[in-house]
Amino acid sequence: MNTTLATQLLFGLYALVILAGGLLAVLARNLVRAMVGLVMTLFGVAGLYLLLNTPFMAFMQILIYVGAVVVLIFFAIMLTRAPAGGEEAAPRSFRQALLAVLAGLAPALILGAAAYSIPQAGVSRPPAVELKLLGAHLLTSYVLAFELISVVLFIAMAGAVLLGFTRRKGQ
Amino acid sequence: MTPLQLFQLAALALLALGLFGLIWRRSLVGMLISVELMLNGAGLSIVAAGQLTAADAALAQLATLLVMGLAAAEATLVLAIVLVVVRRFGHGESQDIFELRG
Repeated sequence: MNTTLATQLLFGLYALVILAGGLLAVLARNLVRAMVGLVMTLFGVAGLYLLLNTPFMAFMQILIYVGAVVVLIFFAIMLTRAPAGGEEAAPRSFRQALLAVLAGLAPALILGAAAYSIPQAGVSRPPAVELKLLGAHLLTSYVLAFELISVVLFIAMAGAVLLGFTRRKGQ
Repeated sequence: MTPLQLFQLAALALLALGLFGLIWRRSLVGMLISVELMLNGAGLSIVAAGQLTAADAALAQLATLLVMGLAAAEATLVLAIVLVVVRRFGHGESQDIFELRG
């Protein structure tokens, strides 16, 4: 099969998966279904990373997002015990829906117009970056960002533990 | 349409869906899911810009790794905040907690 045609077909497939999953994630009444939609979108984006010739990013996408973030979201869903007929199921007015669509479309349209008006000199074939090079960059040029993201993660987790404490009665 | 524009279009679709969901949702966890959609679109846009233009491809991949780390930190903190809200209000919906009270 022609490589270009296969790439185009796969891009269409992944784009469909992303759109369907995103709509499910945003519109589903049940939060667990919304989470399943999010997982679908994450796998679609991982497929797009594979098309971009970055298999490492696809792997990290599945490892970090599907493996860690979605599990956290599932914990949050289970711990909040949302009632079946809660606010999420209540109908929205037409004005609310209109404002929500406008809020979503306006920034996307502005950015899209900017992306299309500026001519970009694209390359036809994405380069493959060696994993060794990424590691070397992390420990030489971008070592400050690498250490800072570790500090940010540590502080976020320490803060989560602090917020999760329950004070004992009488103290 | 160049491949770069197609990938940017997919990223923009994720941004639009996430922003729409952030307004549309009424529960804190639903809002968290929408924010994750937006962050994913940002990562996809950065990697596409790095791989399909003359820009440094390694820098783009590292920047997306940074975005993923930030998303994990953000999800951790939001989980803790949702826990505090549920303990105080009994549920995780945003309509009762939009008023600031001392």
